Amino acid sequence: MSPLVQLVDVTKVYQGGITGALNGVSVTVEKGEFTAIMGPSGSGKSTLLNMVAGLDRPTSGSVVVGGTDLANLNETGLARFRRDHVGFVFQFFYLLPNLTALENILIPAQLKGNAADERARELLDRLGIKDVADRFPARLSGGQQQRVAIARALINSPSLLLADEPTGALDTHSGEQVMELLAQLHQQGQTILLVTHDAKLATRHAARVISVMDGKVVDDARLETGEHAPSEVLRLRSEEAAR
Amino acid sequence: MRAVLVKAIADLRRRRLQAAVIFLTALLAVATGTMALTLMSQTRDPYEQAFAAQKGAHLQVGYTVTDPKPLENTPQLIGAAVAGGPYLSASVQYEFGSQKVYMLTMGRDNPGGDIEQLRITSGRWPTNTSEVALTRSFAELNHISVGQQLKVVSVPAEPLLTVAAEVVDIDEGTADLSSQHAWVLSSAISALATKSDLFYWMTYRFAGDPTDAQLQAAVNEIRAALPPGTVGGSVNYLLIRSVFNITNQIITSVLIAFSSFAILATAAIVANLVTGIVISSYRDIGIMKAIGFSPSDVSAVLLLQVLIPTGVACVVGIPLGTLGSQPLLANSAQALGLAYQPTFSPWLDVAALVGALAVVALAASIPAVRAALLKPAVVIAKATAPVGRSGRVLRALASAMRLPRPVALGMGDALARPVRTILTILAIFVGVVTVMVAMGLPRSFTAINDSETNAGHVDVQITRSPALPDSAVMNILQAQPQTDYVVAEQGLNMIVPGIGDAVNARVFRGDATKLGYLVVAGRWFSSAGEAVAPRALMGSAHLKVGDRFTVSVSGKAVPLVLVGEVYDISNLGQTLFTDWSTVASVLPDFQPFNYRIKLTPGADVDAYVRNVAAAQPDLLEVRKNDTSLIGPVKIIDNVLFAIAAVIALIGIAGIFNTLLLNTRERVRDTATLKAVGMSPRQVMVMVAAAAGLLALIGGLIALPAGVVLNRFLLDLISGSAGNDTPPSTYGVFASWELIAIPVVTLLVAMAAALVPGRWAARTNVIEVLHAE
Repeated sequence: MSPLVQLVDVTKVYQGGITGALNGVSVTVEKGEFTAIMGPSGSGKSTLLNMVAGLDRPTSGSVVVGGTDLANLNETGLARFRRDHVGFVFQFFYLLPNLTALENILIPAQLKGNAADERARELLDRLGIKDVADRFPARLSGGQQQRVAIARALINSPSLLLADEPTGALDTHSGEQVMELLAQLHQQGQTILLVTHDAKLATRHAARVISVMDGKVVDDARLETGEHAPSEVLRLRSEEAAR
Repeated sequence: MRAVLVKAIADLRRRRLQAAVIFLTALLAVATGTMALTLMSQTRDPYEQAFAAQKGAHLQVGYTVTDPKPLENTPQLIGAAVAGGPYLSASVQYEFGSQKVYMLTMGRDNPGGDIEQLRITSGRWPTNTSEVALTRSFAELNHISVGQQLKVVSVPAEPLLTVAAEVVDIDEGTADLSSQHAWVLSSAISALATKSDLFYWMTYRFAGDPTDAQLQAAVNEIRAALPPGTVGGSVNYLLIRSVFNITNQIITSVLIAFSSFAILATAAIVANLVTGIVISSYRDIGIMKAIGFSPSDVSAVLLLQVLIPTGVACVVGIPLGTLGSQPLLANSAQALGLAYQPTFSPWLDVAALVGALAVVALAASIPAVRAALLKPAVVIAKATAPVGRSGRVLRALASAMRLPRPVALGMGDALARPVRTILTILAIFVGVVTVMVAMGLPRSFTAINDSETNAGHVDVQITRSPALPDSAVMNILQAQPQTDYVVAEQGLNMIVPGIGDAVNARVFRGDATKLGYLVVAGRWFSSAGEAVAPRALMGSAHLKVGDRFTVSVSGKAVPLVLVGEVYDISNLGQTLFTDWSTVASVLPDFQPFNYRIKLTPGADVDAYVRNVAAAQPDLLEVRKNDTSLIGPVKIIDNVLFAIAAVIALIGIAGIFNTLLLNTRERVRDTATLKAVGMSPRQVMVMVAAAAGLLALIGGLIALPAGVVLNRFLLDLISGSAGNDTPPSTYGVFASWELIAIPVVTLLVAMAAALVPGRWAARTNVIEVLHAE
């Protein structure tokens, strides 16, 4: 497998920050991997995801995604990069409230100048929300809104799907459904980088769990092989399996 | 209350830009409004003060008699309290520099008395027969000062008179609008005119302020009591007052109209802004209520946020507006010879302050009350008001037209909040309408000025001395190969039925259709017995186009038919125009006085003026036709321009304000769009598209309104000068301009969108989404 994401010695210090949000993080994500980044609030996991999405720039170190060094891109280049290569799923969905579900899904394609109605309807169908295509976000449940957000993230067939606490604003059942969906997408070959503070979710679906603490990677476990599996992760996974 | 104030001030600090927008728009509106109020309250005062102080004459009458004895009883006859004269007078031609000018010159031995006091502003009253007193207005216009000499060229002796005094005469208009009087000692007047040119002039003052009808009745009584033809002409104070006040009246009308517009636009912006604050502060309002603010406290916090910057704007704007009106008041006081004193009225300033605060409070009250009624639990949970869906149809339409997605999104945003959309369009509408009027009215004024000055139709004007016969002048002109055509003219007093004063008639010899006068209705006269007149005269004489009436010329009846209505403001619409052949039969010795000449194409006007003047240097006054705008029109044009600039700025502030509110409210959406791949440029396009659409709608609605308002104001101004508006002066906008106006509005709005667009484009996705 070839690397899709390469973070090398990435540091991020916010203005006024005494310690960094990220302190010398180096991570590589292969194509087709389902990787979860796990850690408590303020550990730096979302900052790491933002670096990969090109939403933020590191104070030092390099971020290379799909062979592109993001440091070489200006704001327009980064926007084009996100549009072409990345799909982003947020905790609070962030659907545009004045657009219907279908219109929301189409936005990234339309920003590229593409007409993607057929693919949008196919995604609606695939994600089980075909019948809400013409509804506005305010009339959708949280789970439906997150599915619409996932469809929007997938409309341009990105090589990398980033999900920042995608179940954080959902009830347990909806959260499970969303995670199942992400797992299915992974099985179909989609590279996914998931940020969560929920160890259960991370260990149940992701093949690899990177634990971050105080801006540093403290653990990197490939769960499929059991290699370097930290006891805490494995304990949670076995508890889950026993249920 | 302290908590309300603390919260309001804290919010103001947080919303400095919005406070600045309120301050700026309120400042502009308050300054314009104060200027209008100050002018309105002072417009009549200076003339009335001067009229009272100088014991102005309510009525002046000229008598063509050789013996003044019968005139002595005229004051008692008409019930005048005081009378002046009879003064032996004549129309005397003076030469100074290269100019020659006629002035009604009266023999008068002192400037004081119980009526028509002449206030000496420079020099002293003439003490010998070689001295003359001039009006200060005339002296200033022609750069003549005390001690300078004028040559009298209307008599063969051509005596030299030294200017002994400059005076202010309350009973005549300013030199740029009216012909002027001059005074010599009574023993000097006979030597300045031939015996047949001498007549007597009397002035009358009544106990109260007589009406126009009462003064006309007085003239009719005098006319009936004296032999026919004795009353040569009369002037009443109402006409002179109108001449003095017309500039200020027009400026005041324009200022009132546009300051109302400015206040309306400001109210729209304020209402928009407060609505925006409420929409974006749902959580804040919820928290305020949760910690104990009452509904009225919440409203008070919001109202104070607009009242504080408006109050500051009043503190600056009211003195600014008062100061801005002073040059116009000084101009009017100066024309009347009054000592200019800065005019401040505390009551008026208080009225402006209370008015401005009331309008702003009213505009802010609806959203403020709405905020007070919000339920805390609901608003805390929602954080901001839900965005409307009004833009959906437009977005769908834009998508169907295959417009780029940022454009479609921007267009949708523009209409997402209908009230905001309407208020913004209102501000744009007012701005565009004002600019259209500021463009249109000066063009109409220029068209009217061109008609009044025969611009393009007359290159040279000549005034003949009575010592030189008309035939000699015509020989000189016909000898010039560059002479294309000559229209000669002479003034004449006619008695028109229904009008007490003698009417000034302008009688033309030659093809006067070539002079380019604007005909409002009917047609120009083409044969003997036909006449045209402006509306004021038609109204005074109860005439309409097609009517037949008989006038009296030197006691002889002349039948006329009114074939057209002409535009002429020179005598506030009280002049009759007719052909030479109309009066030739009753006045066989009638000779023209003024000659208007059009030269052949390519002729050198200066060389022509030199050649003709050289032929008779003492007896002809030859000058290039002066087609420049008169001073008052220039003042009106400048005031219009300044107001248009002010209101256009308010309109731009309106767009800016709306975009600011939109971009701030939509910051999460913008961050989301950026996160899913919208580039900074696309964000700017989106914001500009919203601005462009609002501007386009506002501009398109403003187009017909601008045309209509232009017509309305032109009618108002024409009406105040005693005329109907000529239809040709309405069409001041070319077709391409009617297309260009909304396009320019769109471009200006898009330029105004640059700053909010850049802010939106620079939205920090992480900060915004993290804050959520």
